[in-house]
Amino acid sequence: MFNTTEVYVVAHSLTPGGRHYEKGLKELFADSFLKVVDQVGNVNLGAIYIANAFSEALQDQSVLGAFLADYVGLRRVPAIRIESGDGSSGVAILEAYNMVRAGIYDCVAVVGVEKMHDVTNIRLNKALATITDYEYEGFFGITPAAQAAMAMREYMLKYGYDYEDLAIWPIKMHERGSRNPLAYMRKQASLKDVLESEVIADPLRLYDAAPAVDGSAAVILCNKPIKNDAVIKIEGIGIGAYGTYLGQRETLTELYSVRDATNMALNMAHVSINDINLAEVHDTYSILGILALESMGLVRPGETPRLLSMGALDVGNKLVVNASGGLKSMGFPGGASGMYEFVTMVMELTNTKPFDSLGRVERGIVQDMAGFDLVSTSIILKRVS
Amino acid sequence: MVDQRLSIPRYWRRMPQYYRLEGVQCAKCGRIYYPPRAVCECGSREFKPYQLPTVGKLINYTILYSVPAEFEKMKPLIIGVVDLGGIKVVGQIVDCMNPEKLNPGMEVEVVFRMVKMDGTYGLINYGYKFRPIENC
Repeated sequence: MFNTTEVYVVAHSLTPGGRHYEKGLKELFADSFLKVVDQVGNVNLGAIYIANAFSEALQDQSVLGAFLADYVGLRRVPAIRIESGDGSSGVAILEAYNMVRAGIYDCVAVVGVEKMHDVTNIRLNKALATITDYEYEGFFGITPAAQAAMAMREYMLKYGYDYEDLAIWPIKMHERGSRNPLAYMRKQASLKDVLESEVIADPLRLYDAAPAVDGSAAVILCNKPIKNDAVIKIEGIGIGAYGTYLGQRETLTELYSVRDATNMALNMAHVSINDINLAEVHDTYSILGILALESMGLVRPGETPRLLSMGALDVGNKLVVNASGGLKSMGFPGGASGMYEFVTMVMELTNTKPFDSLGRVERGIVQDMAGFDLVSTSIILKRVS
Repeated sequence: MVDQRLSIPRYWRRMPQYYRLEGVQCAKCGRIYYPPRAVCECGSREFKPYQLPTVGKLINYTILYSVPAEFEKMKPLIIGVVDLGGIKVVGQIVDCMNPEKLNPGMEVEVVFRMVKMDGTYGLINYGYKFRPIENC
């Protein structure tokens, strides 16, 4: 039998998303990684897990881990790069978690790093198209935005919403972002701003898309906490898959991988979805945030836009969704985006500024997803002291 | 030497699919798949080629303005999901001057078109696209 252990988040840091032209992958990586190392002092890291989706396409770099570890003076520490598209981070956390839980390492670091602004937009679109089944989707010009747009159209038809109703997602996320100094988008958005923004893929508009950013975020996971107050434990972690050609899906309005990942995490934590107080969902496009909430069972199918506009998912409610402003406000750093969600959730649970207004909350869930429902992870974090 | 960006074998081996929309049908249970795959839902690994019908119905679509590099000169692209005899295929909708006339349920037919080209001297990739049967 394996001698399994609990897994704690003992350090976290986040480099706000932006256009970090002066920094390469190495400098961005060092930014967040060195901060977590400084927080824990003398900890022996067994391995570093690196979440990154596009280093081959955007920086012509493979075996990324080796070069990043050497840059921070740790060339003998195995640095394992995990690529699972824009859902790389959740998978990296899962792998790191498993190594600690199984007793193989006492402590590991997980770092998400991505540089989206090293290329022009059309080159970036090409890299993003590799998240689709490239032979049959990307080859014909299909991008994740096109997939999200068709899901949005199906959702609007299915539940009788107009585009104006769904514009509540970007409006709410911008409102949260305006109070979050770590956000990339710190400006409020009005309905008019959303409606007048350019169409990316009809009906999807610019305001529905999380803006691409360069960024990095890091955590250290250990088998015991290193301090006594505000200890964060990974209570449950799950992964789900539903990888398929878009045409083979029966519906675009349910994310099966998200549902399965969430159920797995809930089972591990022995809690029900009603015990969750905070959620950070992967809203690369507003519709994907909406579908994630509904597929996790946090919100009844078709209800999200209505609940959002009533303010029922804002701070002060039983369930608070994307208190950070989501990827919509924090920015979309490709494979590092799940790490942004994870680190902000840790800050929310520990009431770290700017999330001190959330009050004492016990449990939160972080949902990360690759492409359109291809591979998803759900992680339940609990404040245990 | 020409800087070749499109790969010949990668394209060549998919010609049955790109040129003829050739899927597969399970020899045991009769399920049809596009794109082809190696194992059926029923567990069988025996398939025979199955050519999809060339007329179908539009199910869902979007007009894509933000396109990958190779499609920059063709934007916007209309991307749609088309039902060809019960099998859904995703692809470009072409020959539609008035996209506001597009409607789920409208009839479309398969056409053979250029998909992308590699500069002036390079490879040209062809493949299927879909065209509304009635003027659009």
